[in-house]
Amino acid sequence: MSHYQEDVAVISRIKNKEKDALYLLYDKYSGALFGIILRICRNQTLAEDLLQETFIKIWENIHGYDSAKGRFYTWAYRIAKNTTLNALRKSDTLIQTEDLGVLKDKGTTTTEVDLNRLNGAIKKLEPHHQEALSLVYFRGYTHREANEEMGVPLGTFKSYIRQALQLLRESYKSDLLLIWWLFEIVV
Amino acid sequence: MMEMKDILEQGLLEKYLLDELSTEEAQRIESALATNQELRTHFQLLEADFEKMAFENAIPPPAHVKSALVNRLPASEVRSMPSSWLWIAASFVGVFLLSSLFMYTKWQSAQNELDFLEQQSTVLQDRLELLEENYKLTNNRLQIINNPSTIPFVLTGNEKTPNSRAVAYVNHENRLVVVNPKGLPPLPADQTYQMWSDVEGEMINMGLLPTDKDLVTLKYIDHAESLNITIEPAGGNDHPTVEQLISAVTLL
Repeated sequence: MSHYQEDVAVISRIKNKEKDALYLLYDKYSGALFGIILRICRNQTLAEDLLQETFIKIWENIHGYDSAKGRFYTWAYRIAKNTTLNALRKSDTLIQTEDLGVLKDKGTTTTEVDLNRLNGAIKKLEPHHQEALSLVYFRGYTHREANEEMGVPLGTFKSYIRQALQLLRESYKSDLLLIWWLFEIVV
Repeated sequence: MMEMKDILEQGLLEKYLLDELSTEEAQRIESALATNQELRTHFQLLEADFEKMAFENAIPPPAHVKSALVNRLPASEVRSMPSSWLWIAASFVGVFLLSSLFMYTKWQSAQNELDFLEQQSTVLQDRLELLEENYKLTNNRLQIINNPSTIPFVLTGNEKTPNSRAVAYVNHENRLVVVNPKGLPPLPADQTYQMWSDVEGEMINMGLLPTDKDLVTLKYIDHAESLNITIEPAGGNDHPTVEQLISAVTLL
């Protein structure tokens, strides 16, 4: 059974209100989602609360997930990102009236992980490709916000993203080839 | 429908994946994905790449986040239902067992009581039968003694036993002789009192007179002229030992 089919089976159990099934998905995806949430909000404590919030939403809204439209992770990623951005918007208004910069300072001091350092295939990309992909995917920026952040026109930014994704695809494909090749040798 | 080329060139699949599109735009992409297999393959690859990238950059959350999640989720309806039913069933079983035990104890004590009452009833029945028997006997004797045709004779002792006294009730109509030997002095174990009828000079045995009885029924002898009591060896004698005659009474 592929991991995608596995998820479908587990999700039907969550729809049946089986909490154990939710914990299976938590064990599988909480790290990936926490990586997103923490990189967007940059605050360990807040990120922990938001991860919990994300899984509560997954539990409550699981009937809104349609496996025909895409992977569970894609759906969960959107929930995690939106939950985090909403929380930041709320706390931004608070910060404006109260203590400026609390969020950003706290974030960098409490976490042991270097949030600006990325791993895996993305690490091998050119810095501008890396940054473009990182902004939209790991930092919660929209394309429009990201191109302003990078100081390049939107069209250029879009082509950065397309190129970055292309390179990423090739990297994963060659990984697959390598695995296939190793597999052939072993057999 | 939007051209697949447009969708790909404008990077709309990426934006759709990242949830940057408006609801209408997202719906357009979804319907395009539903009908276009090639576009769907593009999207599936994109999803896979994004997911892989996310896993490569995963940060494990601290364990307390999961326990907080476990505590926050409401008690599972699906699982709590059967367990609550089990509890209800278990308590029913408990109540049933307790009441069974109670009923069994009750039944046992009732059984014991019944056994005891049955025993009592048997004892009472025996006593009643005995009393009835006694009553019949006593009544019978009374009938005999009180009968108008019954004649009582007192046999007082002679010089050998001056204080002795026996009463004989004779009924000629019913041919019955009953003697009360209570007034006779007790004898050693090897001796007994015996009563005789004198019929034309011949002494005829009527029977023994044990002194421990209230009334002794003896043989009625026709044409008896007198009643006589002698002391004889234990077990009685065929002929009276005349020297040991202690009392006599004439019937005529």
